[in-house]
Amino acid sequence: MFRYIVYTFFAGLSLLTGLSSLSKSQTEPIDLSEEQGIYTKIYNAPLRVYGESKINRINQLYQQRPLLLAFVYTRCTGICNPFLLQLKETLELTHSENNFQVLVVSFDSYDDTSTMHQAAIRFGLNNNPQWTFGVTDRIDSLNKSVQFAPAWDSIRSQFDHEALIVGINNQGYITKKLLGIRDIHDIKLMISSINNEFIPSYRLPGKNNLLSCFNYDPKTGKNTMAIGFFIIALPATITLIIILTIVLFTSKRKTL
Amino acid sequence: MEHHSMLLLFIILAVFLAIVFVTVFVSSIKVSDENHGLKNTLRKRFWFSLVLTIVLGILTAVTLPKSPYFIFAKETPSKVIHVAALQFSFFMTEKEIDPKQPVGESIVIPLNQVVEFRVTSFDVNHGFAIYGPDMKLITQTQAMPGYVNSLRHKFTVPGEYRVLCLEFCGMGHQGMQTTFKVN
Amino acid sequence: MESLKLKKITALWIVTVITLFIVAIVLGLLMRLNQAEVISEEPLTFYSNMTTHGLMMIGIWFVAGMVAVNYLLQRYVNTSYAVSVFAFVFTVIGVVMLWVSTFIGKFSTGWTFLYPLPFKDIGASSWATPLFLLSLTVLGVGWLVWSVAMMAQIFRKYSLSQAFAWQHLFKKNPTVETPPFILITTITLVGVIASLIAAVIVIILYFAEYFSIGGFVNDALLMKNLIYFFGHTIANEMLYLGVAVIYEIFAEASGRPKWKTTWYVSLAWNTALIFILTAFFHHLYMDFVQPQGLQIVGQLASYLASLPSAAVTVFSIIVAVYKVKTNWSIVNLLFFLGVAGWVIGGMGAIIDATISNNIVLHNTLWVPAHFHTYNVMGNVLFSFAFFYWFSTQNINKLIMSNLTRVTLAVLIIGGIGFLMAFYIGGANSIPRRYSVYPAGLASAPYLAKIGFTFAILYLAAILVFFFNISKRCFAILSTPSSPA
Repeated sequence: MFRYIVYTFFAGLSLLTGLSSLSKSQTEPIDLSEEQGIYTKIYNAPLRVYGESKINRINQLYQQRPLLLAFVYTRCTGICNPFLLQLKETLELTHSENNFQVLVVSFDSYDDTSTMHQAAIRFGLNNNPQWTFGVTDRIDSLNKSVQFAPAWDSIRSQFDHEALIVGINNQGYITKKLLGIRDIHDIKLMISSINNEFIPSYRLPGKNNLLSCFNYDPKTGKNTMAIGFFIIALPATITLIIILTIVLFTSKRKTL
Repeated sequence: MEHHSMLLLFIILAVFLAIVFVTVFVSSIKVSDENHGLKNTLRKRFWFSLVLTIVLGILTAVTLPKSPYFIFAKETPSKVIHVAALQFSFFMTEKEIDPKQPVGESIVIPLNQVVEFRVTSFDVNHGFAIYGPDMKLITQTQAMPGYVNSLRHKFTVPGEYRVLCLEFCGMGHQGMQTTFKVN
Repeated sequence: MESLKLKKITALWIVTVITLFIVAIVLGLLMRLNQAEVISEEPLTFYSNMTTHGLMMIGIWFVAGMVAVNYLLQRYVNTSYAVSVFAFVFTVIGVVMLWVSTFIGKFSTGWTFLYPLPFKDIGASSWATPLFLLSLTVLGVGWLVWSVAMMAQIFRKYSLSQAFAWQHLFKKNPTVETPPFILITTITLVGVIASLIAAVIVIILYFAEYFSIGGFVNDALLMKNLIYFFGHTIANEMLYLGVAVIYEIFAEASGRPKWKTTWYVSLAWNTALIFILTAFFHHLYMDFVQPQGLQIVGQLASYLASLPSAAVTVFSIIVAVYKVKTNWSIVNLLFFLGVAGWVIGGMGAIIDATISNNIVLHNTLWVPAHFHTYNVMGNVLFSFAFFYWFSTQNINKLIMSNLTRVTLAVLIIGGIGFLMAFYIGGANSIPRRYSVYPAGLASAPYLAKIGFTFAILYLAAILVFFFNISKRCFAILSTPSSPA
């Protein structure tokens, strides 16, 4: 009986070895575009904000409080609206009000202070002191300083662009960039970085986030466990289960 | 701790322990048939454990704040250098790295200023290890695919520095290096 | 009582282990010779030999510890002969598969097979990677069945709390006494099983990615944590298997009364388990992406693991010997020397386990320096002590000849010289796992030559031991099975 188990096992192994010649693993593409321009200074663009005559340069904002700079345009039928909505909701979840503010800037020359004001009303952010919606007359220089290059598609009358947030600290240095619609963990890292907190490491956007170990919350200093953590705890857990199973199934002799 | 201090400490401890064990051994040969062994061993064990715990506690308190994640954390670096490791070379640049066409440039780091290396890998685990002009290892971090590790350092000695790959990465591992200057 | 069958399988294991040890030493010698620039191997050959050397050494001394524990366990519970044979067969097959994948297939990722290196172009044949993973599977299955079987046998006789000697924590003279050997074996087997299961999980994740053809990609950090949990824990536990043997036969071999479990022995070993299972984080200090809490846990657990070892085991050895008339034979002398080597290796380990030191020691020769100390002058000596004790079967026959004294001296000198070449190399920032050293590290080839020379002395001593022990083991193997 034992022999046959062994034979079957090795037959299985040989089959596996044979099959393995048919397969190969893949290389994971890496995206380093968020690494561009870190610790360079943002272009101090002139600003126009609806109903605000005092704010006319970006530095007036970031010197007051570190800044999250978001790029959108009001004619956008694509990513801009879901992007801003997600950003608003995620920022609300962070429960931090004092250590950042948001500037939403349009990169479309069609937009002016009133269209941006309408956009703010649509998102319910027109009376929120943390949010500023504005336009600039020097958008090309601003785009260049953050390596943002929206391309106009005349057929669809739309810009081809990425969703971009740029984090700026109170000295005007770019400390972090996020491309795309990002979750609360990345937003929190962004807020830490603009407050000059040292983050020794972070994950690059990619496919292999499925089994990550932890999501670090810099605000509370705690780790929220992701599925990867449970996999690390698995060997010890399975061992415990094995021991308890053995104890359950073995009969103990009364006299030793 | 400095390299040769660590070696000296180890040798001193090793020699001391060797002497202890030799003494114990010799004592067991020279003794007569009566048992002259240690008495009150439980009390001696207790004191030994207490001393050892205190020593370890002091070592922890002194050394933990010197860990790479904590030193230079409060300072803003004057420069960021992007590093991407690949089998078997390093790309180092002050600008961003395009993974499709990685290009390195020669790097000059300012003296006595905190700089930040942002290190990642295009393929496998590599080690980004900085050796000084005297070829002593100064600092290091891992280059892991899918992650960026930030290493901050303040260089206080001008000269030519070498970077060696310190995490086994394949058959070119021993030749994987690059250099930069500090002045 | 130990049956003849058990004696024979033990004898077979011992001869196999020492033979494989000699093969693995030769591979190590070739590595040092290449680094000394005396020979010139292709990097691929060097690194595949390095992979074989590493996995063989870990495997050999792990099974040596298991063999000794299995044999002594028979004094207390019924161990399974069939399982020991099963483990032997699977170990031999696994080693052969390993050799094919490395010597022929040129698989060369190092024994830690860190993700995603096995999947990249490492110069190996395409079949070498799955074959290597399968060889680990075969070894893992054999060893897992063995450890679980031993655990089951212990729990057949002892309840859960008795196996962990908890009753000793609360009662001075409990009705059921747990021998220290049983306590330590139970604790150690928990770590062994956990580390082997981690290996199983790693291999499953590797194969999942391998067969998914792009669908599933692993996280490099998770794989690193799992691989180091497996690797560190199994290396740590193989040392403790040797320590379990010490508790059982050191006193016996010295003509002293047997050691008993006391409350502090029980406390020390139960708490040691927690430190053993969490110390592995010290392999990830330079991965800044690891949560800082885990880095601190790594340093604390590594430091604290020294406490139960030093305050209980080492202290007990010293108390048992200091100014106590002891019958010294090769058996207890090897145990005693091994403990000294273990403690000294621990000094190198504590220095490296300090994060602020690790930044200039990580992946330099300091790392092989300390783990070779634990083995070359620690665990290996524990196992040889058992081999001598077992093969002689009669302590009175173990009066040391002059040849044995000289051999022991050569072993110690060879070991110390070989290890010092590594420690000095580490202090000189010479990298580990380099087939040749870069210009600018002038002392490196010179130190490799010194390491090689002293390693030859060590090997010579091992060969003398091999001859003595195998002679007797073959005698046991050829004992007729039927009763006289």
